[in-house]
Amino acid sequence: MMSTSFARLVPSLGLLFLLSGALPARADETCQSPYLPRLVGQEDFVYIWTLGIEGVGDGSDKLVTVGANPKHEGYGKVVSSVSVGGRHEAHHGGPTDDRRHLWVGGLDDSRIFVFDVASDPARPKLARTLSDFPQKTGGVVGPHGFYALPGRMLISALSNSKDGGGRTALVEYNHDGEFIRTIWMPDDAPYGYDARIKPELNRMLTSSFTGKNNYMRKLSELLGDAEAMKNFGSTMVVWDYHARKPLQVLKVPGAPLEIRWALEPEHHYAFTAAALTSKLIGVFRKPDGSFEAVEIADIGDPSKTPLPVDISLSSDDKYLFVDSFMDGMVRVFDVSQPRAPKVVYEKKIGPQVNMVSQSWDGKRLYFTTSLLANWDGIGGDDAQFLKAFDWDGKQLAPRFEIDFRKEQLGRPHIMNFGQKGLYKTQGQPGGEAG
Amino acid sequence: MIRRAAFALLTTALLGASPGEPEPLYELPAAGSYALPPIDRVSEHVLLGSDGREAPLLGLGPGRFAIVTFIFLGCHDAAGCPLLLASLQQTDRRLAASPELRGRVRLVTVSFDPSRDGPAEMAGLRRALAPRGDWQFFTSRDEAALRPVLEDFGQDAVRELAREGSGESALRHVAKVFLVDGEGRIRNVYGSGFLDASLLMRDLETLLGEHSPAR
Repeated sequence: MMSTSFARLVPSLGLLFLLSGALPARADETCQSPYLPRLVGQEDFVYIWTLGIEGVGDGSDKLVTVGANPKHEGYGKVVSSVSVGGRHEAHHGGPTDDRRHLWVGGLDDSRIFVFDVASDPARPKLARTLSDFPQKTGGVVGPHGFYALPGRMLISALSNSKDGGGRTALVEYNHDGEFIRTIWMPDDAPYGYDARIKPELNRMLTSSFTGKNNYMRKLSELLGDAEAMKNFGSTMVVWDYHARKPLQVLKVPGAPLEIRWALEPEHHYAFTAAALTSKLIGVFRKPDGSFEAVEIADIGDPSKTPLPVDISLSSDDKYLFVDSFMDGMVRVFDVSQPRAPKVVYEKKIGPQVNMVSQSWDGKRLYFTTSLLANWDGIGGDDAQFLKAFDWDGKQLAPRFEIDFRKEQLGRPHIMNFGQKGLYKTQGQPGGEAG
Repeated sequence: MIRRAAFALLTTALLGASPGEPEPLYELPAAGSYALPPIDRVSEHVLLGSDGREAPLLGLGPGRFAIVTFIFLGCHDAAGCPLLLASLQQTDRRLAASPELRGRVRLVTVSFDPSRDGPAEMAGLRRALAPRGDWQFFTSRDEAALRPVLEDFGQDAVRELAREGSGESALRHVAKVFLVDGEGRIRNVYGSGFLDASLLMRDLETLLGEHSPAR
């Protein structure tokens, strides 16, 4: 029987034709690039890029795959683990535009590891290692964010090889691991951290952290070095995304880190959290098309330096989950009035907490603990875990947890979701995973 | 017959809609004010045209460009293939009206699904879209013949399991448009969230400027 799909689509085509001058983005599960196929429904796996700890297991950085689907064998357990050999300061990573590969980076030696997650989603395989990032990029160091663009990967870095300071760049690679270009941050906003795009507006926002001299140093030492503490970012940059040109530098004191654009196409704002000042920041588009950064809330008690880290926005732009590292808390802000957020829930996840990821439907949240190898455990208890919760709009209820020390794995950092159905083919029903 | 009816409806929808555009939310960057560094390189390929004869896909040469996209006529994703075609039709109209670009750009639309989208079906799509410029429609003898093309462009396509009771299967893919210069270098890739005929035109003007002796 012939497909009638185009016929069924015809009523919407006229509207789409009218809209095609400014098309809506198809956003992914909450914090991912809008250029990814959206992973909806139940995630089957959580891929966790994990720092090795000397004397714990093989001591190497590794990609750990945890079963997340309660209907499948391996739920709440480690399904597989792939060591990359050595410790590289494993940090962040993200999938390619077709979600067939996962790129992850090491902040210390700037190595990039590319995993094939499509051939067997339960057992990713290391497909490629890029060992010459500083040489290829003209001296960029610390590949941090990995953000899929169509046909390529945008990498936001933290530092440079010349002085190990915070001057850094955005870098693009193609899917074959070939360097495309380096775009240095502007002179009046040289630091980097995150880079996120709102395609409908042709705007990219970047944020700012600190250079290798600081992020590889023991936090206890760093906090006592007044000069070094001056070397943190205090800016965000608004870019013309298509042209990759900086348009505007916004003053945001205190190291603004993760950026989350609102996901509804008509919501022209973003959130970030300033780590050192414990402020929640809204970045709002003004009627003239420029942007303003506004302090919209305290995160905990700023005088106690809770050190807000990762944030996660629900797909309906209602709830913003904000982790703070030093007190191990998550605070949930109702941001449906984005200039007047209110804390509606808070919970202590553990002695320390860093990353938070949520499913597209907002029903499941996952937390991990590691910030940086030399910063973990500053509060005295260097607990390292993955904890999974259900969220019913009012509270978090535990689902499962994995002690990464007890399992001899290391320090769990960024999480990405996987789903077997993304790669199903005829005659190959899903590649059931244990 | 059903598919022909669909083409007729598609034609009505595409050509009957007003080409008026919404208020833009941003200003396009000026042509030549930004760089489009090569992302990758692709080869010329020979596939089956909508006239049933094999022909080269890209037809490149100095000062020429190709805009390549992969679709299939059974696409169920409203934000996927139909949207791509609507935007490409806008581009075709603009190219035909551009003295600088007319005759320099080939639009290339290739079916992912040779088992269902034969030359006759692709010819039907061509009639529905009524190109004003060089817009070529291709399919392939079988999936094996198409595979090297998909791999060369880095275009994913996964055939999903047949939907129960429907007798159909679908192809899951990430909708992309590839801008290829005269030397076979991919100079931009557009995703579903950022597919804008105005941007395509601006990028073509930017690349055309690379060949201008004034630059």
